Amino acid sequence: MSPARSLNRSVKSLAGWGLVLATLVVLMAVGVTREPAPRTSGDRIDEISKRIACPTCDGESVYESRATASENIRAEITAQVNSGNRTDDQIIEFLADRFGGQVLLVPRATGVEALAWAIPVAVAIVAIAGLFVVFRRWRRESVAAATDADRELVDEALAAQRPPADLDSVFDGSPTASGSGEPAAVAGADGRRDDDRDDGHGEGEGR
Amino acid sequence: MILAASLNSALGSAGLLLMLAATTFGAFSTAWAVIVGNRRVLRQAPVYAGLAFAGAVLATVMMQRALITRDFSIAYVQQVGATTTPALYNIAAMWSALEGSILLWVLVLALFTAAVAWRFHRRRDDPLVGWAMVVMFAISAFFAFVSFGPASPFAAGPPVPVGFDGPGPNPLLQNHILVMFHPPILYLGYVGFTVPFAFAIAALITGRVGEGWLMETRRWALFSWAFLTIGILLGGWWSYEVLGWGGVWAWDPVENASLMPWLTATAYIHSVLVQERRGMLRVWNLSLLVATFALTILGTFITRSGIINSVHAFGAGDVEGYLLGLFFVVVVVSLALIAWRGDRLRSPGAIDSPISREGAFLANNLLFTVFAFIILLGTLFPLFIELIQERRTVVGGPYFDRLSMPLGMLMLFLMGVAPVLPWRKASGELLRQRLYWPAWAGVAALAIAVISGAEGWAPLAAFALAGFAAGSALRQLVLATRRQGWRGFVGRANGGMVVHLGVIMIAVGLAASNSYTQSATIPLTVGVEQSWAGHTFELVRVSETVDQRASVVKAEVLLDGRRVYEPAITKYLKLGQDIGTPSVRTGFTSDVYLTLDGTLRPSPGDTSVTLRVFVKPMIMWLWIGGGLMAFGTLLAAFPNRWHRRPTDPVSAPIERSPSAPVR
Repeated sequence: MSPARSLNRSVKSLAGWGLVLATLVVLMAVGVTREPAPRTSGDRIDEISKRIACPTCDGESVYESRATASENIRAEITAQVNSGNRTDDQIIEFLADRFGGQVLLVPRATGVEALAWAIPVAVAIVAIAGLFVVFRRWRRESVAAATDADRELVDEALAAQRPPADLDSVFDGSPTASGSGEPAAVAGADGRRDDDRDDGHGEGEGR
Repeated sequence: MILAASLNSALGSAGLLLMLAATTFGAFSTAWAVIVGNRRVLRQAPVYAGLAFAGAVLATVMMQRALITRDFSIAYVQQVGATTTPALYNIAAMWSALEGSILLWVLVLALFTAAVAWRFHRRRDDPLVGWAMVVMFAISAFFAFVSFGPASPFAAGPPVPVGFDGPGPNPLLQNHILVMFHPPILYLGYVGFTVPFAFAIAALITGRVGEGWLMETRRWALFSWAFLTIGILLGGWWSYEVLGWGGVWAWDPVENASLMPWLTATAYIHSVLVQERRGMLRVWNLSLLVATFALTILGTFITRSGIINSVHAFGAGDVEGYLLGLFFVVVVVSLALIAWRGDRLRSPGAIDSPISREGAFLANNLLFTVFAFIILLGTLFPLFIELIQERRTVVGGPYFDRLSMPLGMLMLFLMGVAPVLPWRKASGELLRQRLYWPAWAGVAALAIAVISGAEGWAPLAAFALAGFAAGSALRQLVLATRRQGWRGFVGRANGGMVVHLGVIMIAVGLAASNSYTQSATIPLTVGVEQSWAGHTFELVRVSETVDQRASVVKAEVLLDGRRVYEPAITKYLKLGQDIGTPSVRTGFTSDVYLTLDGTLRPSPGDTSVTLRVFVKPMIMWLWIGGGLMAFGTLLAAFPNRWHRRPTDPVSAPIERSPSAPVR
């Protein structure tokens, strides 16, 4: 193993990764704890109007819409924000009471509308659980490895192989394209047999 | 009874009838020929495809001629034609309403059918190709029928007086050049997925459910996906340049309808690699393809039926019943075929470890399908509430934003890890080695963001993950080019990494612009300079230009003392509607977006206006990223000189004992 390569290895060991993590944490801490610019009333108006649907137009928010009804709601929001008596959520509740629940762009977390939140979570959990089950089954199945007889068959087939006929045209893709450009050199130099090596087929081997 | 209102109408209808006849007859005769093995009849399939294409071209040419000559005897031209529409927008008027957009669909579908017939003409004896043609013909016949009958763009309109003039297309569809490109390109993507779908059905019917059909349609799927991607992005660009609220994506039902098939198609073009390499996931890939095709139909139904309110909806026509019918036929037939071929679809082999290339593809598929499901749920949810509680609700942008953010983060993370994973199994040691520099790339991206003043954990995490993913993609490209020279950019894996870089740019652009947009309403008076958010604004004057079509009131605003921008309000004389047109200074890191505020239309000569200003960071990254995605797709589809011999092993054997680690 050349000195350069062993240096490469040791840098990428736990110490190197520790440095990565430490820098990451420090930078995140700096960014997250940074004092945010004070919210102006304009920011508040924008944020609230993004959560309110325009009652007369189709599916646009008051923030996007330029319809008269939206202008009226925006004026109401502006008045509420400038009076300074209510929080954002209170203003939204006030608007929902005044204009009806259909002005809310975000489904409520109560009643039937809570399903809009619960179903995605349930589906995600079911999907992940499904993936676990499949992997477990595969793991059990994969114990059945190739037998020596199988290997013999493959060896025979390879030995009997003729120079490439026009079979190539059957395959549109190729492993150099389909696998990855992971060079055999990286894996080989480490002295490990690496599955990525197969991506090098067609380069040096077999042709 | 007048059969046709004019020559345009007569020839146009004739073209559609020709297509309907050719595709119907083609479907039946080809199906019969495949079943009884009659080669002579089977070889006629390309002729029917050619005839159908000729019919569709004739109909389109006649539609354009009717629009150009302002043939107001046709109802559709009465609806969207106007003598004052400029030539370019007059061409685009064809797809500015329901009937014409279905005609565009018909044209693209006929084009694809003819292209398949031409591409596979040497193999027209092959039952797989035969059945694929049957499916293409059947779907073409359906759309030709809809366009000829219930949604005919050539129907005669009520008699009009001499000197009649129509209103012209929707004002929003006649003030930006992108309306020329966004719909046709989007349709190329939508309709393009008919081809892999047809081959999938053909594979199920013939029982040749191996990897053959997949290889045949690899590039078709890839190009359709690319067109869909570009079409969606152009739609966002159009929205940004035209609608005046400063955003690219509003989670409108029609936008969702285009995103859902894009998500399932993205899942498909990834998981297909697992099937090619390992022969696995056959049912899954078929299902993704069926879902993609069915979602394009469902999306068209949702948006064209007016069942869900959307700014894009063209208003109820007679076509929704047919589209819903097609959707159910597609789903039922596909599921039945998959169930019927269930035994042959059982694939050999197993995925050994979740920490492997194929494991990553599965995780990718999970994310994309869950994402598509959430969008479907959110889009249909108002319908569901209306059904059980009889009240109107809206599920809008904030809902989708909230749910898509964690999914987007997970996707970025996966984009960072997946490219370095080997097939079959990876060790912790290998991951530590290969992910080291990508991790530093993530740290570097985070550092740049923090130094330039970014805040908030969500966008910062997005930037870090984006840097990580970009590092992974670059690592792959560097290693591949070091070994193969320029060929290191070509091929699926390497071209795919260029696509990833484009996606990452878009993710960064979205994260930055969603999190750090500033907006303000600024009253301006002539000659008085106002400052806000590091920019200065000065009103030079309010001017007006009037032509036959519209009166445009512009506020000439000097931005940062350098250049004059002209946000405008346009009044289309025939429609009487005020349409705001934003004016945008685009930059690599930040856009300044000027619109005239709302209801107060200034008059020429006014000395004050109310300006609405958005400062949006990194919007240009979306467009550059889109270009990179398109370029990467081309690289990925580029033919590779090195073909694998079918007898070469595709991967080295792994250790037999499951307990021994692979080292």
